[in-house]
Amino acid sequence: MNWSDAALLGLRSLGRRGARSVLAGLGVALGTTLLVALVSIAGGADTRIVSQLSHGGPAAAIHVDDALPDPAGYDSDNLQTGAHRDLDAAALAAIRRSPHVASVVPVLAVSALVVPCPGIQPGTPSAPPACRQRADEYFGTVVGADLSHAPDLPITLLAGRLPEASSMTEVAVTQSYVERVHLNVAHPAAVLGSAIEFAAPQLLPGTGPARFRGRWTQAQVVGVVAQTVDSGDFLAPIQQTQLAREWTLAGVDSRNFRRPTSPYSGAVVVADTLSDVHAVRQEIFAIGYANSAPEHLVASVQKYLHIVDIVLGGIGSVALAIAVLGVSNTLLAAVRERWREIGVLKALGAADGDVARWFLVEAGLLGIVGGLVGTAAGTAVTATVAIVVDRYLRDQGLQGIDLGGLPLQIVIGAPIATTLLAVVAGLAPALRAARLPVREALGG
Amino acid sequence: MVRVRGLTHRYGEGATALTVLCDVDMEIPAGGYAAVTGVSGAGKSTLLSILGGLERAQAGSVCVGEVDLTALRGAELARFRRERVGFVFQDFGLLTMLTARENVELALTLAGVGRRERRAQAEQLLSEVGLAARASHRPTRLSGGELQRVAIARALANRPAVLLADEPTGNLDESSAGRVMEMLEQLRAERGCTLVVVTHNPELAARAEQRLRLSRSQLVRL
Repeated sequence: MNWSDAALLGLRSLGRRGARSVLAGLGVALGTTLLVALVSIAGGADTRIVSQLSHGGPAAAIHVDDALPDPAGYDSDNLQTGAHRDLDAAALAAIRRSPHVASVVPVLAVSALVVPCPGIQPGTPSAPPACRQRADEYFGTVVGADLSHAPDLPITLLAGRLPEASSMTEVAVTQSYVERVHLNVAHPAAVLGSAIEFAAPQLLPGTGPARFRGRWTQAQVVGVVAQTVDSGDFLAPIQQTQLAREWTLAGVDSRNFRRPTSPYSGAVVVADTLSDVHAVRQEIFAIGYANSAPEHLVASVQKYLHIVDIVLGGIGSVALAIAVLGVSNTLLAAVRERWREIGVLKALGAADGDVARWFLVEAGLLGIVGGLVGTAAGTAVTATVAIVVDRYLRDQGLQGIDLGGLPLQIVIGAPIATTLLAVVAGLAPALRAARLPVREALGG
Repeated sequence: MVRVRGLTHRYGEGATALTVLCDVDMEIPAGGYAAVTGVSGAGKSTLLSILGGLERAQAGSVCVGEVDLTALRGAELARFRRERVGFVFQDFGLLTMLTARENVELALTLAGVGRRERRAQAEQLLSEVGLAARASHRPTRLSGGELQRVAIARALANRPAVLLADEPTGNLDESSAGRVMEMLEQLRAERGCTLVVVTHNPELAARAEQRLRLSRSQLVRL
């Protein structure tokens, strides 16, 4: 009897004891559901928590500053800088060439006079004068970054979207700006669509009191972020801040106003993996730049998360083990019920292997059906939990969370593992049936 | 040909041992027809089990054709049953989750016959026992006589050299019993296989060419 014949016989046997087969399959499905849901939720939560520790960016992100390193900061998560040191394209190229560096995203922060225009839509002819008549302008910092590499940047989007990577008219603001313009921080979306005017300073030559000339630009707020790319209230494409820097460089220095010398104020370097972060940091120190990364914090949190994963995975595994034992119990009962049938099969010439195959196929069928149903149900549970958690967080005025889709290895692996477990559980009943003396089975 | 020499078989050990067959000799020519009678517990079914390779002889020799059953073990005995023997049981021994045709096919499935071929053979066999119209019926929808005819069709599926029937009419009424026995005898004659029937019924036993009686563990020719 080959496997397909055994499958046909197994299907008929399962069908004859429909209710019991359904219950055994449901047990496997429930166990699989629990395991898949727990592992998926735990995995998704781990990723998000570690990501949050890195302020929304990749956990393997390293901040590089345009300063010499302070030796005391070599083993610290915090940025400790020495004297200023220009960070230019050559330095970035040197960092990029270092082993285990996945990407290098340059950052340029510039100072500017900021004129908020809440409630005024950009592009209207009267907007600039209306803004400039306001009295709440202030000096702020616009952080420019290569936003085509946004996923590599430690940015958490709270509302709206990030500016287009090459846009000269879009910016994102931080929560501190939302507070400054007296809007509710819990509902940051209110600031979206409003206009802001920036004036990059240029010190004019001459004696007497310092005279500045501004390069006025207007931008629309398209997003609200919690960013730590650099300190500043605004996040913009780096092209905007590069033009502002060039404007400032076209002026002169004074005792109280120094033009920036460094082409970049910093960079975000992403290591290949979390375990490479320390080595990459040492490389950057060796090149001569101060840098920081929450490597110790992430490592500690990961250890705790790993324990949580083990506990949740353990709970799911116990549930699955109980379900699989149910398969074993069902089949043992089937062996007792089919005593006579086993005898008839053997009398017809079935070898021990044929009889074992019959029961193993039944176990496998229960496992694969239970596994597939359980994986589908686990996916649904994970999606539901993700929606509920996300809604709760948003209701609390917090950033939402996306637990993400089910990892492919779980979708494929769970039914396979469940089937294998069920087959293993079916081994004892199958061997018992196979070894049954034929005369005894026939009731002699 | 079935040849038994000095066959001894007992159940249990020591003081509680029960000898059911003691130094039994027997010979049935190829294509012969023998009936074995005896009271309950006389060892009729044990003898049939040993002849059919369901049980190994403890002492003596048992040959079916050229095959010495005492030399066979596990898988070899299974192969012997698959290729050389057909069983007909008192309670029919049909699998209730399969249709009549699938029950007949089962013997061919175990013999490794392809799906299409075994289906055709099963339908032919059911036709021979007059059940072509009931091929797709499950055993629960068949009468006792029909069930036994399905069992006979299944027993003949592998073209056995020996057909062993253990009380084949025990669960049938008189009329069905007569038809089943006629069928068995007719098929034996057509196919040339050796038929050994175990029965309590002296009338059925009288139809055989060779009548044997098991009494006090001994086989007596009548």
